[in-house]
Amino acid sequence: MKITLTINGREYTRDIAENRTLLRFIREDLGLTGTKEGCGAGECGACTVIVNGKTMNSCLMLAAECSGAVIETIEGESESGELSKMQQAFHKHHAVQCGFCTPGMIMSVKALVKKNPKPTVHQIQEAIEGNFCRCTGYTQIIEAVQAGTDQRDEQEELRRV
Amino acid sequence: MLQTFSYVAPDSRKDLLAILNKEGTRAKILAGGTDLMVDIRGGKIAPAFVVDIKKIADLKGVSYSATEGLSIGAVTTCIELVTDKTIVAKFPIIADAASRLGSTQLRNRATIAGNICTASPCADLSCAMLALGASVEIASMTGTRIVKLADFFTGVKTTVIKADELVTRLIVAPELVNAKFGMEKLKRIKGHDLSLASVAVVKTGTLLRVALGSCAPTPIVLPDFPANAPLASILEVAGKTIKPIDDVRASKEYRKMMIMTFIEQIILRL
Repeated sequence: MKITLTINGREYTRDIAENRTLLRFIREDLGLTGTKEGCGAGECGACTVIVNGKTMNSCLMLAAECSGAVIETIEGESESGELSKMQQAFHKHHAVQCGFCTPGMIMSVKALVKKNPKPTVHQIQEAIEGNFCRCTGYTQIIEAVQAGTDQRDEQEELRRV
Repeated sequence: MLQTFSYVAPDSRKDLLAILNKEGTRAKILAGGTDLMVDIRGGKIAPAFVVDIKKIADLKGVSYSATEGLSIGAVTTCIELVTDKTIVAKFPIIADAASRLGSTQLRNRATIAGNICTASPCADLSCAMLALGASVEIASMTGTRIVKLADFFTGVKTTVIKADELVTRLIVAPELVNAKFGMEKLKRIKGHDLSLASVAVVKTGTLLRVALGSCAPTPIVLPDFPANAPLASILEVAGKTIKPIDDVRASKEYRKMMIMTFIEQIILRL
């Protein structure tokens, strides 16, 4: 069947198999391999993308359901060639170690910050509940989100070091 | 790679019911897909048709009338339950229950009808809806029937729904508008885990109703108590009714202890 959808501001029309998951469509048909497959069961959040403004596990969705949808993936963050502010904050605060969870993590954080530009630690934790990170232990990720939303005193941090 | 199936997305209830009537068990309904897709991928089910019901306008939305009460469309998502003004104002227990389900990504997709129809003993919305005495509206080509949620579950992941039937909405009678409530859900980590034991209680001036999850083959509701029922009598009935099991997530003794503890905490609070 034929679907048309918008990903990172670009419209795509493709013939797809009806059993194609949105994740496979994004990765294999469009070659946007930033979005990862972890568990394939909606637990780990590595496949998180933003669909019509809401984060969703793309491994649990069919591409066929998404005709007409507006989708954001990690590739949309640095289209200009420069990392987005949140990506830079992740980089600076060592919130990326192996990097597998990062694309999904950034998508969850992006959707949060759009709704809530100054999230509390609790709100950040809640937003990334569905994104597993097995390297950093989350502390640096939460610090990065605080920095990416201008909620950390960088000078104070330097003095502490 | 998922097994092969045909995807159909009818835009009217009539077309949908005709498909279910024709294909029977060969068709599986896709609402939020957070259980269905896992089952397809795991090979637990192999539908020939995956029938998306999200394009059907009259399965969406929440409304309230003083005569019928609250009506929640089948494909209403958990995040909609959490944020809907009518629900938050009149039946906050539903918003509370929905906010405890899974992760943000799952709450953005999972639907109330999906949660009820999956019929897991630990389904997050079931306890709240049972405590509210909710009913389920079920449609087929031959008509519509209403079943009390308490009579809807027949066993672990089984319900009274037949292959040609569709849950169209959940209904909560107006009697329990603004009732006091308490909920507790035990899980191993704060976010994103299945419930090991859950309790929902609603209380009005005259009535107290207790629903329990993860402690029997289905979510269960205890017989109604008077509002001033002594704690000991509630715990006695609960203890005789529940049949928790040992499994990979918790022992039956632990589940029972936590169910009793939660009931006590909630009743003392209300």
